[in-house]
Amino acid sequence: MKKIVIIPAYNEIESIVNTVEDIRENAPGFDYIIINDCSQDGTMRFCTQMGMNIINLPVNLGIGGAVQTGYLYAWRNGYDVAVQFDGDGQHDAKYLNAMADYLEANDADMVIGSRFINKEGFQSSGLRRFGIRYFSLLIRFLTGKSVLDPTSGMRMVNRDVMKIYSEDYPVDYPEPESVVTILNMGKKVMEVPVIMRERQAGVSSISAGRSVYYMVKVTLAILMERMRKRRGRGL
Amino acid sequence: MMTAKLQITILLALAVSLIAIVNMIRRKSLELKYALSWLFVCIALAIFAAFPRSMVIIARFLGIDAPVNMIFFLGFCFSLMIIYTLTVSLSRMSTKLRKLTQIIALNEDRIKQMEQQLEELKEEWKDEKADSDGL
Repeated sequence: MKKIVIIPAYNEIESIVNTVEDIRENAPGFDYIIINDCSQDGTMRFCTQMGMNIINLPVNLGIGGAVQTGYLYAWRNGYDVAVQFDGDGQHDAKYLNAMADYLEANDADMVIGSRFINKEGFQSSGLRRFGIRYFSLLIRFLTGKSVLDPTSGMRMVNRDVMKIYSEDYPVDYPEPESVVTILNMGKKVMEVPVIMRERQAGVSSISAGRSVYYMVKVTLAILMERMRKRRGRGL
Repeated sequence: MMTAKLQITILLALAVSLIAIVNMIRRKSLELKYALSWLFVCIALAIFAAFPRSMVIIARFLGIDAPVNMIFFLGFCFSLMIIYTLTVSLSRMSTKLRKLTQIIALNEDRIKQMEQQLEELKEEWKDEKADSDGL
C-alpha cells in the first residue's frame, strides 16, 4: 500500500521541520508532500534547501485549494491512502499507522482522527467546542450518520475519496462540508480517537471575527450539499 | 418634460459610449458576450432620449405614475442583473483558476524531478563514455 501525508503549509517555517521529522520517525511507511500556499516567510526556500518534498502553488489558493492540490498529487501518483495533516504541530504522526490499519480493516472510505471520542488532549476552547457539537448535530440530523469531530483536520481517505476531492473540494473551512459530500454519496466515514496538541506556531484560520461567517457559511454549505443529487462529478 | 438641450446632451453621451463600446469589441478587449447587455442599455436609453413619450407610455403600462421613477427602477433592476451575471462568471473563473494553479504546481514539480533524472542520466552516460574511451 502506498500511503502519503498531505501537509498544507502557509507560513509554517517554525514548525514544518518538526512535523516532517515526526512523520519520518513515527510513520515511516508514509511518504509526505508539503503544499506551500504562497507562504510569505520563506517556507519554500527553507524546505527546498532541506531537501523536503514540496509543491509550490504559484498563486495563493487558500486552505481548501492547497489540500485539494495534495489530493490531486496523491491521485495522480497512484497512492492508495492519503491523509491530511496540519503543519503547525497540532497533529501527532504516531496515530497514522493505526488510522491506516483501521481504514483497511474496516474497509472505510474515510477515517477521521477525532478529539471527542475519549475526550483527551487539547479539546479546543469552549465556544469552538460548541460550534463543533453543532455541526456534529447538524450532520447527524441531515445524514443520519454520527461524526463527533467533523472539523478535524486529520483525515485519512482511500483512493475513491481522493478522486472525489481532487475534483471537488470547498474553498474555505472545508472539513465539515466535505465530510457531508462523501456521506451523501454513501461513503463509509469512521472515527478513531486521537490526542491533539495546541498549535505550536501560526494562528488558527478561524479568528473570532470570522466565526460568524464560518458558522453561517458551513451551515449553508452542508444544507446545499444535502440538497444536491448524487451526480456524476466533473469540473 | 425634457428640454431639447438635455435630449441632445444625453444622445451625444450615448453616442460616445456606443462608439467606445464598439471600439472595445473591435479591439477584442471586450468580449461580445458581455458587451451585449451594455449595447442594449445604450440603445434603450437612446430610444428614451429621442422619444420621451415612449417613457410615459411604458410607465403607464407598468402602472408607474412618474416616468422618472420607472427609469430609476428599471435601471436598478438591470444593474442588479448585470452584477449577478458577473458574480456567476467570477465563480466560474475562480474554479478554473484554481484548477489551473494546481495543475501548474504539479507539473512544475514533475519538471523538476525530470530535470534531476536527466542530470543523473547525463552523469551516467559521461561515466560510461569515459570508461569506453579508456578501453
